[in-house]
Amino acid sequence: MSITTATRPGQDRPQTRRKRRVEPIFYLFLLPSLVLFTLAITVPGLVGIFFSFTNSIGIGDWEFVGLTNYVAIFSDPAILQSYLFTFGFSIVTVLVVNVIAFLLAVGLTSQIRMKTALRTIFVIPMVVSGIIIAYVFNFLFSNSLPSAGAAAGISWLETSLLANPDLAWVAIVVVTAWQAVPGALLIYIAGLVSIPGEVYEAADIDGASKFQQLLKITAPLVAGYVVINIILGFKGFLNAYDIIVGLTNGGPGTSTRSIAMTVIAGFNGGDYAYQMANATIFFVVAVLISLLQLSLTRGRNTL
Amino acid sequence: MSSNLTRTLRMAVLGLCLALLAGLLSGCTGDSGKETIRFTFSKREAIGFMTKLVADYNASQDKTEVVMDTSGVDVVSASFVRGNPPDIALANYNMETARFVQRGALSDLSGTQASTRIRKDLQPLMDQYGSYPGRTSALPYSIMASSVIYNKEIFAAHGIDVPKTWSDLIAACDALKAAGVTPFYATWKDDWTVAQGWFDYSVGGQLDTIDFFHKLSEAGTEVGPDSPASFEKDFQQPVAKMLELAGSYVNKDAASRAYGDGNLAFAQGKAAMYLQGPWAFGEIAKSAPDLQLGTFPLPMTDNPDDLRVRVNVDLAAWIPEGSKHKDAARDFLEYLYQPEVIEAYNKSQLGFTPTIDAAGAPDPRIEGMVEYYEKGQVYQGPSVLVPRTIPIMNHVQALVLGADPAATFRTLDADWARLAFRQ
Repeated sequence: MSITTATRPGQDRPQTRRKRRVEPIFYLFLLPSLVLFTLAITVPGLVGIFFSFTNSIGIGDWEFVGLTNYVAIFSDPAILQSYLFTFGFSIVTVLVVNVIAFLLAVGLTSQIRMKTALRTIFVIPMVVSGIIIAYVFNFLFSNSLPSAGAAAGISWLETSLLANPDLAWVAIVVVTAWQAVPGALLIYIAGLVSIPGEVYEAADIDGASKFQQLLKITAPLVAGYVVINIILGFKGFLNAYDIIVGLTNGGPGTSTRSIAMTVIAGFNGGDYAYQMANATIFFVVAVLISLLQLSLTRGRNTL
Repeated sequence: MSSNLTRTLRMAVLGLCLALLAGLLSGCTGDSGKETIRFTFSKREAIGFMTKLVADYNASQDKTEVVMDTSGVDVVSASFVRGNPPDIALANYNMETARFVQRGALSDLSGTQASTRIRKDLQPLMDQYGSYPGRTSALPYSIMASSVIYNKEIFAAHGIDVPKTWSDLIAACDALKAAGVTPFYATWKDDWTVAQGWFDYSVGGQLDTIDFFHKLSEAGTEVGPDSPASFEKDFQQPVAKMLELAGSYVNKDAASRAYGDGNLAFAQGKAAMYLQGPWAFGEIAKSAPDLQLGTFPLPMTDNPDDLRVRVNVDLAAWIPEGSKHKDAARDFLEYLYQPEVIEAYNKSQLGFTPTIDAAGAPDPRIEGMVEYYEKGQVYQGPSVLVPRTIPIMNHVQALVLGADPAATFRTLDADWARLAFRQ
């Protein structure tokens, strides 16, 4: 194909440059991802929404049941609890991850020894698979921590955190944060090194303390990165699945079942249509959150 | 000229690529003469045995190549949904498989030789999970009876006899405890161990489970405080006794121990009794091959006539309607049911063979249950009779970890009614 740009006669003003005819080849470039997205995301999504109005169990005969599944969901404490748990868990984890990652990033961009080595160490959790991390921590929580608790005479630590219905979620936050901090850390480091050194010099000359510099210069200048981290993190944590499966499998009782887990449980346990209705609701909720975040970030990026 | 050349060249390369791709794709379909069938089998303890059996079968004939898939029950369910089920399976027969039966996803096996040799008195065990009109959808392959596993050496050392009543049991537990021996080893970290052992033995020993679930199904959306049967009304009493045992007579770290930990600890003699099925014997034997073990039904009432053992169809054979190799699968099915094959399997796993021609002395470790099994003093565990979409295992785990029984059973009643409402 040729790559010459055809300009129509009579439209030779410089401003019309972006109005020129789009090369058809670009559509060809788009095609694979468009096809894949349609086949792997859109079509199954629509099929799922369709089945949420039936009593299908995923196989065999089924019939339409109208809004029955949706009515049942809103009176199902297990589903409502999974929403409560997932949102609570996501908010706490986002806060924990961002505070730790930001402080670590400030430390790792300042003039300290072994900076590169430390950065490498801190990033390692990111490259380990979630389910492996979960099983390793499962062992620590079930065996090592209770032994340590018994040795130190701390009675509430003697039984596994994972077996405590009130505290199991803390263990999940800890492990998820352990895995998620490096990703946020890298983004913060990128943000911090992009701040020009002169502003700090100027602040020094004006007599600002290090703490004031952190608060008045660093924090506002990385605000955009904070927003990115919060959005990416929150989105990821709402889909929490692998780490919870490896740690508690939703237990003890049903205290740590995430939304994704209830949806998949329906897929495996003969509740396909019902959980498709749940997934549809979750999809709507996710779209609403995305719209909210989109409008927020638009404001932020102009800062 | 040069641009034309590149153009031709490009077309040629494109054509070549397409040809290669087509070749790759077609390469997937049968190039050998053997018909390949996918055989789902995921009973962890028996994978070694079955792998060898499949290899023997593959070597014995040159029509069919059986490929074993051990990826587990969740993957199987998903494969049905995707329309790509296995060709044949030997799988646990439970509510999960019941769905496939009831919606007609399994093919009729009544014409097979194997189906004529199944003991008729086992039919209620199969019917419990529903049927599809005019079909024999599944055949039992291995029946497991389970009850309390006890360490004969510890019992003998402390002069304790096998308890036949609830009072005997409490007396035995107190005596063991006084002697510094943990009566029961519990592994509550794995919720299924609470469900199949603690919950099922306790409730099944006191309640007619099949009758209860029959009434519950009839009540449907009405299940609640006013229905003829409800979890809240009928389970409180049995579960209170379970919690009495769970509260005073287990290892201190029960909440953080899992099935594997339990097998090891029991093999090391760290407790006198263990609420597990016969599948645990093989695991215990790995670290203590000579340990003297026995079984007895958990006495939950003061009447020795109430003693019963839990049974379940540990494995049933079925062939999905959606299989494209049904004939080859049926040939393999007949092979699996040959007397020497099915009996060798059940002997290796301490199961009971469901065929009429079965013979052979039971293993001494399950001798304690034979009497009850043959007299029909059996029950099905309540945990396997609850549809899987209700997380019963999670709930009973919460019970032993301290959740309020009344509230838990109200939740179960509401879950049951809600399920009846939408299905």
